[in-house]
Amino acid sequence: MGVSYRGFRKYLLILLFITPTILSVSALSVYPIAYNVYASFTNRNTFRPRANCEGEAVQGEAPPAWQTWLTQRMEPTCWATFAENRVVGRGQFYRLTESLGENYADMTGSLFSRESLTSTGLLLVGVSPLLAVWYVRRRQSKLLSPPRNGWLWLVALAVSYGLWQVLDVQAALTRLQETGDFFIVLFRTILYVAACIPLFFVVGLTLALILNNEHIKGRGFWRAILIIPWAVQSYIAALVWQFFFRGEQGTINQFLEALGLFEQGPTWLGDPERPYLAFVAVVVINLWMTYPFFTVVILGALQSISQDQYEAAEVDGATWWDKLTQITLPLLRPAVLPAVVLSSITTFQMFNTVWLVTQGGPIKGAGQPGFTEFVMLHAYRLFQDQNFGRMGAFAVIIFVMLFLATLFSLRLTRITKGAYE
Amino acid sequence: MRKPRRLVMGIFYFVLVLAVIFAVYPIWFMFLASIRPGQSLVSLDLAGMFWPTQVTWANYQAMLFGTPIPGSEQYDFFRWLLNSLKVAGLTTIATLFIATSAAFALSRFKFRGREGLLILFLAIQAFPGILALIPFAQLLTAMGLFGSHLGLILAYSAGALVFNTWNLKGYFDTLPIELEEAALIDGAGPIQSFIRIAIPLATPALAVTAWFGFLGGFSEFVLASILMAGVPSGENTLPVALWKLSGSQSVPWGQFAAGALLISIPVLIIFFFTQRFLVGGLTVGGVKG
Repeated sequence: MGVSYRGFRKYLLILLFITPTILSVSALSVYPIAYNVYASFTNRNTFRPRANCEGEAVQGEAPPAWQTWLTQRMEPTCWATFAENRVVGRGQFYRLTESLGENYADMTGSLFSRESLTSTGLLLVGVSPLLAVWYVRRRQSKLLSPPRNGWLWLVALAVSYGLWQVLDVQAALTRLQETGDFFIVLFRTILYVAACIPLFFVVGLTLALILNNEHIKGRGFWRAILIIPWAVQSYIAALVWQFFFRGEQGTINQFLEALGLFEQGPTWLGDPERPYLAFVAVVVINLWMTYPFFTVVILGALQSISQDQYEAAEVDGATWWDKLTQITLPLLRPAVLPAVVLSSITTFQMFNTVWLVTQGGPIKGAGQPGFTEFVMLHAYRLFQDQNFGRMGAFAVIIFVMLFLATLFSLRLTRITKGAYE
Repeated sequence: MRKPRRLVMGIFYFVLVLAVIFAVYPIWFMFLASIRPGQSLVSLDLAGMFWPTQVTWANYQAMLFGTPIPGSEQYDFFRWLLNSLKVAGLTTIATLFIATSAAFALSRFKFRGREGLLILFLAIQAFPGILALIPFAQLLTAMGLFGSHLGLILAYSAGALVFNTWNLKGYFDTLPIELEEAALIDGAGPIQSFIRIAIPLATPALAVTAWFGFLGGFSEFVLASILMAGVPSGENTLPVALWKLSGSQSVPWGQFAAGALLISIPVLIIFFFTQRFLVGGLTVGGVKG
């Protein structure tokens, strides 16, 4: 389309088209991100909530002029336009932290000390056999006739287990958890993602394989019923499941008791002695909400696989397992990979569901993160505690991680590529 | 495809039935709870968990007509609904209006900084609203909009703008450029070809994008509960209001179930008409409500 306009006129036209969006995005997205970066370098918290707009002296000591200048620019309550809404509260002024990265250092705790790095190293050594097998098999899959060495996984698992015992990786993990909230929260979130995504895939694949079988009667009907959970708004789903998992009146416990399995069912959501119960609960709920997406994506991909390939394989005497691992799974890859990456990111930053169900609990002791306090819940708790400096730093780090993950997913799906380039 | 053995078919149907129970039971339970009289949620018998044993429409009457139930307050279902419709609707209209032209430009023109802009939008997409709570709270306080619907609309617009731009850009990419080139040859300017050709062609995409953007705002819970904290009950949006009902253990849970079902059914119906677009659009951004 550049045919009709060149140079100056073309840029004027483009500006006309994109300026409204650029301005809105700058005010509503870029500024908030910049503000978070700014907040991450301040010592703002419950006791120091006020912005020092005028650069007043505190205990006889005025802040440096550049700090006041920065505050006046970044802090909306200081802007002249909004002077009438200026907060005249009690409490002290906040200021930039003494050393620049204080909040970041506080948050990561001793995560970068020599001891922790050693522990991280041990952890990596512990899982290295699995990574090695994955890498080898990936390389081999490009060969014309890849060797059938699925048993390598078992060997790797055994070696991993051995290393785990010999190197005492368990202890290393405990040491890492003692470095502070950041590692605990991140580790549990990753654990949550690692528990959810394979489950989604297996359930989605099973249902899709069944629904793809042309001898099943009423396939459209089954499919329509099975994707209903997808249409339920997440907060409603969470609140209903929260009721199911309640201790005394919870439907699950009532059911178990009515069957005579338990005298008194477990406290699913608030048992600090058995925190994994709450973890299981939030995994089940997430499964309920997400498996329809996987089923639909996998079913769509299955339907595009031509039957000829299976027939050819059958002539060669392939079993259903051969067909699944040699034909179906490799051909599903391009469709499923974006779904997996996308769901991983969504699960990583899940808030609504988990918060409405567990509020991040169960908590073992005051001041410790709860067992289901995943990254977004942790950020929310820092906000509630008005620990703004710390939350700013946390937000910046999580943002960087999410952005890198998005860039990675971009490489997989190539969505920045225009159609006419 | 050869027909599997009878045993295998039996297993297939068994798995399907199990999956259907898993999928549908929570919704069926909501329905049971919504028609159950009084306090009986706490003491269920086995039959009552699967089948309605006593039936009352009092919960629906309380939600729809404000007929009070003894032992609970009166509720403003329609006011909450209206609040949600207003916030989500205005967000959608405003952001769609702004984003469409930018999406068109990003799809059709090559210019310096285009890739950079796309990456910037992607970065913003990766920045969840919860992390922006501090700046939003500050900004809205400064503007005097904290606790108002307009403030909430501004907060929602941040996410919706980027989502819309990405989605529509993706759609414009798939439209054949030849039609616009033909218009250019016939003497139309780029603006004319945008308004007269690209927009009419993109109407289905605009509608679907609008619907998913709308659903996002309509179901949003966190920002609404914080940026509207402390307002009178009648100002709440539907998700926050229903959440407050569900916290109770006795009568209002039945009313929560009634309200949740009332709002789920239209969403469900529209979902079935739009879900085939959802799968296609999902590679662009998380759109689950």
